Amino acid sequence: MSIDPLSVLHSLFHCVSDSLPRAFSGRGFLGAHLPVPAKSPSSIPSFISQSTNLMPIPILSLPGKNLQYALNCLSVGDLIAFSLCSKRTKHLAKSSNRKIESICADFDTCSSIIIQHLDEELFFDFGDSWADLERGNGIEIWRKREFAHSDWIPHLLHIFNDPVIRVLSIKDVSLAYLDTIKRIIPRCNRLEISENCSDDVAKMAFLKLSPIAVKEVEVYKNIFDKENDVSKALTLNLESVIFCDYKNPLELNSDDLLMNNIANLIIHKVNITGKELNRFLKLWMKGNHSFYRPKNIELVLEKATKREEVLRGVKYQVVDYKHQLKRADGKVLLISIGWRCVVFQFQ
Amino acid sequence: MSSTEQGTSSAAPAEPTTAPESAAAPEVPESFYYVHGKDKVVHKVSAGALQHSALIHGMISNLGYTEEQAKANPFPFENIDGDILQMVVDWCNQHKGKPTPPEDTNLPKQKEKLFDLVLAVNYLEIKELLTYCCKQVAMMVKGKSPEEIREIWMIPTDAEDEAAEKEAKKRAGKEAAGETAAAAGDAK
Repeated sequence: MSIDPLSVLHSLFHCVSDSLPRAFSGRGFLGAHLPVPAKSPSSIPSFISQSTNLMPIPILSLPGKNLQYALNCLSVGDLIAFSLCSKRTKHLAKSSNRKIESICADFDTCSSIIIQHLDEELFFDFGDSWADLERGNGIEIWRKREFAHSDWIPHLLHIFNDPVIRVLSIKDVSLAYLDTIKRIIPRCNRLEISENCSDDVAKMAFLKLSPIAVKEVEVYKNIFDKENDVSKALTLNLESVIFCDYKNPLELNSDDLLMNNIANLIIHKVNITGKELNRFLKLWMKGNHSFYRPKNIELVLEKATKREEVLRGVKYQVVDYKHQLKRADGKVLLISIGWRCVVFQFQ
Repeated sequence: MSSTEQGTSSAAPAEPTTAPESAAAPEVPESFYYVHGKDKVVHKVSAGALQHSALIHGMISNLGYTEEQAKANPFPFENIDGDILQMVVDWCNQHKGKPTPPEDTNLPKQKEKLFDLVLAVNYLEIKELLTYCCKQVAMMVKGKSPEEIREIWMIPTDAEDEAAEKEAKKRAGKEAAGETAAAAGDAK
């Protein structure tokens, strides 16, 4: 009896491919030696790796309490994956009332989200109908045909019951996309506008998005190119703003400071003369600004200023190495003047 | 060593041959009860092991059976497959009188029966085992993509859900129409 060499090869091929872990066998025999981008076989629980023997479970047929308990046992990443299966699973994921510690959003050439919860850290990049995920198993690609680029983040926020974004970072986005960001992110604790933004985007991002920042706005670019732009920005009713641009110092005068409505304002660096600072102090002392909101103004100066020039003609006392000014209405201002730094603390 | 035994395939069990309970014999003689599933195979279980099941424990407390009465009246669980009930009984025996550790390695190994096991354990109200089974259900999809989860957990797509809903509505409509017609017929 003769043996067909081709049939021997065929059975040999099956012997080898059947013995390969699932992650390899799916990629074909020739691809088996290549690195696996997503999950390494060792990361797959033993009974899952033998999933050919595992009966699928119709989880949605489980009694409600059991289903909810099983969902509560899922990691954040697995819960997100579950929520993407259908509208029903999205609803179930939301009703599990899962809380997450921190969620940060980053808008650059593509949108990203970083979710941190206990030991779990998930990095998502989103596009139209796809999401890249890194959660310690290499890059995974998830697909959701119905999703556009801007649908992913609202989905995540929805299932976690609209948590406040800890940091919203704006980088290289288009002007038009700022409206979308405002629509999909209702509020954040800190807004960061990167130096990589174009001037127009940075300025518009500040005006449009700073109202959604509950705690802090940080702008790493001088966004003011016209004289009255600074005043307009400083009149916004914001809690804390840091303007930081060491290459292009911000031009400031005493009127800008008097119109300031930001509770905590920090500017690195600023072009303001000692004379203007002195004028600001004198006008503040006159007490025409009884509803002056700022609590703290910190200015890092481009050019060193002289203490005498700033305090010329102003009545003050030295308290704890600071200069204390008392207004007729009882309001107090503490001033610290360094070589290139002035700090005003309104009490 | 197991206290579980395979009885006869009739509802009224033959005299079961009791396996020794444990090396350290209890000072007070332990009482035993009998349960059977869909396959009518009777399992002898100690009252201590059955305490894990809130349902059976409640039944025992209310009945106050003697040993003979218990033997003559095994608790029927017709909605639970025999092999599933066997798993549950084994687990109860293994955990008799001791708290379940958070990571229980004595969970029944047959993962393909997990779904039926969850339903049975839920019905029998065995809280610790249920908790662990649910964890195992969650583990099935650890690190999986949405598509893989859909397969493993047999999750219908939105289109399938909609079609099923339409079908259910259609069926309900037909049934309602049938009932109306029958009521009209009765009235005549």
